[in-house]
Amino acid sequence: MSKIEIRNLVKMYGAHQALHGIDISIAPGEFCVLVGPSGCGKSTTLRMVAGLETISGGEVVIGDRVVNGLKPKDRGIAMVFQNYALYPSKTVYENMSFSLRLAKMPKPEIARRVNDVAQILELTPLLERKPGALSGGQRQRVAMGRAIVRDPEVFLFDEPLSNLDAKLRGQMRAEIKRLHQRLNNTIIYVTHDQVEAMTLADKIVIMKDGRIEQQGTPDEVFHDPDTLFVAGFMGSPPMNLIDCIVTPTGIRLSEVEIACDVPPSLTSGDKVVFGIRADDLRPSSEGAEGVPIKAHLDLIEQLGTENLAHFRLGHTEMIGKTDGRTALSAGDTPSFTLQMRHAYFFDPATGARLR
Amino acid sequence: MTRIIQGFRAQGTAYLFLLPCLVILGALLSVPLYKVVEYSLYDNVIVERNPTFVGLQNYRDLLTDGAYWSASLNTILFTIGSVVGHIIVGTGLALLVNSDINRHAQTLFRSLLILPWIFTAVVVALNWQLLLNPFGVVNYALGQLGLIDEPLDWLGDPALAMWSLLVISTWRGYPFIMVSFLSGLQSIPQELYEAAEIDGAGFFAKFWHVTIPQLKPVIYGVALLDLIWTFQLFPLVWLTTGGGPGRATEVLSTMTFRFAFVDFEFSKAATAAVSILVISAAFTILYLRNETRKI
Repeated sequence: MSKIEIRNLVKMYGAHQALHGIDISIAPGEFCVLVGPSGCGKSTTLRMVAGLETISGGEVVIGDRVVNGLKPKDRGIAMVFQNYALYPSKTVYENMSFSLRLAKMPKPEIARRVNDVAQILELTPLLERKPGALSGGQRQRVAMGRAIVRDPEVFLFDEPLSNLDAKLRGQMRAEIKRLHQRLNNTIIYVTHDQVEAMTLADKIVIMKDGRIEQQGTPDEVFHDPDTLFVAGFMGSPPMNLIDCIVTPTGIRLSEVEIACDVPPSLTSGDKVVFGIRADDLRPSSEGAEGVPIKAHLDLIEQLGTENLAHFRLGHTEMIGKTDGRTALSAGDTPSFTLQMRHAYFFDPATGARLR
Repeated sequence: MTRIIQGFRAQGTAYLFLLPCLVILGALLSVPLYKVVEYSLYDNVIVERNPTFVGLQNYRDLLTDGAYWSASLNTILFTIGSVVGHIIVGTGLALLVNSDINRHAQTLFRSLLILPWIFTAVVVALNWQLLLNPFGVVNYALGQLGLIDEPLDWLGDPALAMWSLLVISTWRGYPFIMVSFLSGLQSIPQELYEAAEIDGAGFFAKFWHVTIPQLKPVIYGVALLDLIWTFQLFPLVWLTTGGGPGRATEVLSTMTFRFAFVDFEFSKAATAAVSILVISAAFTILYLRNETRKI
């Protein structure tokens, strides 16, 4: 268990700057998830911590050591790759024991460790098989096992679940979470899937274009987004984000006047982006408190316990949520309630949250 | 029967297109093949108007001929030496030109290193004869470096001729291995090397545990193919040493040629050719089995 400090990390590819000074501080035993769209620099950051990419500027500290100049094997890390990267010619046992053999560990000790980990991951019956004879989920577990046997200070995961089907992904997600609770190692985990990020993380770091947009607990980044990007990225369906104009009494949203409180910094005539999650946009008949609006329903997506209601307000398309038992259909014009205490305002130019 | 006719009607055009190819293959491959086997069972073919059928007598003669066995031994030495040389040099160069260097330099080296393969055997042979001549560049350079006291007759000395031939053959044949391995190397996922690096593997461990196992299917197939080609290689040997001095570099192919076009003993030549055919066919079957397994 070690802390990780990433200080002002910079990555240059020739003249192109891929990372613009990344600062992340990860406490011992913390599960930190880097999330963002492709090309945001999350994998690059992880690979720089691993030592697979050179560091153009700044430093990476694992435990109490600056590891910038150290080789990957000397950094006390283990990594799980997106495509598993198992050695195809080696059996599961050989795959898991490879690093220990290279470290010249005595054979009985290697056998003990590999068998222990195989038991935890339910790999014991597969130890003599080669990766080609394993299913995707089994390969994934072997890749994790190979990381665990090394008993590293830090685990690095690079989009480890992206090659699995949805059901298996859910299972493996739970398995990774359980493993973390059991081993309590420090983890950096890269994904583009915000659901994975929300469910796994103690700390989420949301990145975009080589910069950190926001970092915090899942609760913070979801309920208290700092920027327009974070608000739109976290959550499914995405937050409704609508351009509107501040009026003396509230806002004008797609030709509809809505009386509400706005952040004190705003004055009448300002352009802002108004944000509200589908969860806070429910049929008035369900008894929600707030500002009622008349919705023209285009589409109902049934999810079982709840439905997603796609509707138009003036010319603007919005998504609200209804109880799964609320009977509404396309073409209806029910009243929906904007729960304004959960509304957000953003600066359309900078994307910054207006409070 | 009707089904066959129907099938032919449906696919008749395709067979028509295939026909010229089949005819040419039949004429240029099957007929000579059959003729060679037939000649090996007669005595004094071609030179005599009415050759006599002698059954397996030619084979008995050949197998009791000491020259045949010494040529066989030379062929084995030459083949194995060449293939090993090709693989060692080819692998080393493939690794070098696959390494992460300046892109233009990489292209330049890749192109330059393929050149030996492009020259015809005659050009290669003549060049090496000039290089290895007692008054050639190699002797001059070695003399200047103080490695030899007097010029060596690389191709004329029975003790050196086979070694010189192996050097020439290696130079001539490595590009095929290099190119094949290069494409094999490029198909190895980078993630495997990264995983190995994190596991603590150095250069040699990575080579041994990642590169070699990943290249294995390529190595086996390419080595067999090279074996088949080198086993029956004729022009390079004939044009450099001609099988000499004496019989020091006589291989089965040059021996066959000598029987036919120097001694005009066509039956003997046919018999030796059939022996080459049998061994080559065995290698070829191995190769084809390996290829089908891959599919």
